[in-house]
Amino acid sequence: MSANRKTLIILIAVAMAMLGLGFASDYLYDQFCKITGYGGTTRVAEENLSEVIDRKVTVKFDSNVASGLPWSFEPQDRELDVRLGASGLAYYTVENKSALPVTGIANFNVTPIKAAPYFIKTDCFCFEEQTLEPGQEMPLPVLFFIDPQLDEDERLDDVKEITLSYTFFVSDAAARKDGAATASRDSGN
Amino acid sequence: MVAIPETGGYGADHDDGKPGFFARWFYSTNHKDIGTLYLIFGIISGLIGGYLSFMMRLELMEPGFQYFANGHDFNVFASMHGLIMIFFMVMPAVIGGFGNWFVPIMIGAPDMAFPRMNNLSFWLLPVALICLLISFFVPGTAAGDGFGGGWVMYPPLSTSGSPGPAFDFIIIGLLAAGFSSIFGAINFITTILNMRAPGMTLHKMPLFAWSVLVTAFLLLLALPVLAASLFMLFTDRIDGGTGFFDPAMGGDPQMFQHLFWFFGHPEVYIMILPAFGIISHIVSTFSRKPIFGYLGMAYAMVAIGVVGFVVWAHHMYTVGMDVNLKAYFLAATLIIAVPTGVKIFSWLATMWGGSIRYTIPMQWALAFIFLFVIGGVTGVMLANAGVDAYLHDTYYVVAHFHYVLSMGAVFGIFAGFYYWFGKMSGIQYNKWLAAAHFWLFFIGVNVIFFPQHFLGYNGMQRRVADYPEAFELWNKVSSYGAIITLIGTGFFFLMLLEAFTIGRKTRRVGDNYWGDGATTLEWTLSSPPPFHQFNTLPRIEDTDEH
Repeated sequence: MSANRKTLIILIAVAMAMLGLGFASDYLYDQFCKITGYGGTTRVAEENLSEVIDRKVTVKFDSNVASGLPWSFEPQDRELDVRLGASGLAYYTVENKSALPVTGIANFNVTPIKAAPYFIKTDCFCFEEQTLEPGQEMPLPVLFFIDPQLDEDERLDDVKEITLSYTFFVSDAAARKDGAATASRDSGN
Repeated sequence: MVAIPETGGYGADHDDGKPGFFARWFYSTNHKDIGTLYLIFGIISGLIGGYLSFMMRLELMEPGFQYFANGHDFNVFASMHGLIMIFFMVMPAVIGGFGNWFVPIMIGAPDMAFPRMNNLSFWLLPVALICLLISFFVPGTAAGDGFGGGWVMYPPLSTSGSPGPAFDFIIIGLLAAGFSSIFGAINFITTILNMRAPGMTLHKMPLFAWSVLVTAFLLLLALPVLAASLFMLFTDRIDGGTGFFDPAMGGDPQMFQHLFWFFGHPEVYIMILPAFGIISHIVSTFSRKPIFGYLGMAYAMVAIGVVGFVVWAHHMYTVGMDVNLKAYFLAATLIIAVPTGVKIFSWLATMWGGSIRYTIPMQWALAFIFLFVIGGVTGVMLANAGVDAYLHDTYYVVAHFHYVLSMGAVFGIFAGFYYWFGKMSGIQYNKWLAAAHFWLFFIGVNVIFFPQHFLGYNGMQRRVADYPEAFELWNKVSSYGAIITLIGTGFFFLMLLEAFTIGRKTRRVGDNYWGDGATTLEWTLSSPPPFHQFNTLPRIEDTDEH
């Protein structure tokens, strides 16, 4: 094999590796965010084994419904005071206001972004799709705690409030298409 | 420095083996002809891209809408101006044009490693350009034809926000152009690593060849990431397709920004590094001195290339990044200024104590150094995340990158063009027409872009067809600059016309029309060189020059 042919093969392999990395970025980003909590991604734990300490934060609850989803979605309590390490339980209420069964799934984020790695959920409705019959109303729980290690991080000394925000989207692809068509008609696109 | 064999100069004449017209220009396997094709293509694309920006400047001369029906059409012109100038003018000119012409000659090779793939790389470009031109005339959004989401193509504007086929044509065109460059990069790397003449070690290789080598590695590593992200946009756009960048499907539009700029930042170094190489040759030739600090120059380019891969998020300071992450990207971006500074000072040190000749190429090169530094220092300003919070997406950014591109890369292209025009065509340019081109273009681009710094730091945002009246003065001045630049460009075409009509009869040139300052291998060949050169490889002697 000539030197040129060898070099050609190596370089093609490098190009394909970069192409593969590009496609793999979706998965890699997901994993990176989940592990480091960067970008406001919260962490997940099986159970809360932490010690409760004296520092308190106020957890606020925000809710959004993406266009195309005919649901109402509100938190039951706007805020909850919790001590670091103590388990908190919050409920959202969701109602399907349309005449058809709809499946939704929720996306979530936490601000300030630097607090996100310390916000740990043990049970959340956002881990699964939720299907609601027409007119059905359902309470959705979030069980969480805030890692007491937050207290040791100097950068978070100014954190008094943490906001947990959810957005519900249509989960079913066909329904999303109908919903998007409705939405774009509504928003005059 | 080069041992010339006794048996006549290089490219001893026999039947030079030129194919007939169609085979020669459509089935070419000759690096010089392919280089010529790229240069012609770059000129044509430059006219298209320039027309788009000229229309934008006309519109922006006064507040209100005068020439464009709506903001969408203006945004289409802005987006396409960027894509066409980057992918179809600068890159083809410096890499495809000068790279193909001179890298094989400078390293003493008879042609590129893969001559047929070279031809494929070229011919992919007209196909790609046609795809982009078609996009102008097919629906983009309900507001009109064409894609107006910026050359950066961020979703969701480029996915659900541009439902028409216009953007799909752009995706296909850019994929074609991207593959063209990937194949070209493979060709250049293989040629430079494997086909240097005996005695031409990497550390004796001319700096333009070094610049193309580093550029080729950047292309190889960055372009596939663009290809992946374009492909992901494409599948996201399909009904019932993927949702890589759609939060409703668990995706993230910000991921596109990361992927795009991971490509996008090396891309700007891809555009400037070959120009750096050209400037090194010209400054050395017209100072009649070897470049100061050859190894420093070569490895500064390597350093710029390597560090250029880890600074991409300085284009994304305002997306909501953690402050410590911004601090990292800020520091890394500032670091790139160091090897760049090494290059600037080395060019100055080359001139110091040299015997300067103010030829036309030298004027372009001197202007390059001055104007690129201005663009570079505004880049240092923008690197600061806090300052950038204010300046992001304002005309300050537009001013910055046009200084380093329209005055960096483009001045490098014109410098190379005038330096090598005689070598490529056998005809020397008319000095008066060339001087008129230089001065009008120099004044013109500065009048366009310097006032844009003022617009930017006073808060005028970019990518807008209209603006508050307070910004009228500098917009008007900037637009007058466009008219001056247009006239200057006209002199470039007059120069070409004169050269190929009158000049070809009266101003023929020999092998080395620049004198003893020109020491690289292309100056040992005839002007133009024979169809095939180095049937006998030149032997490079050991000297202490590098």
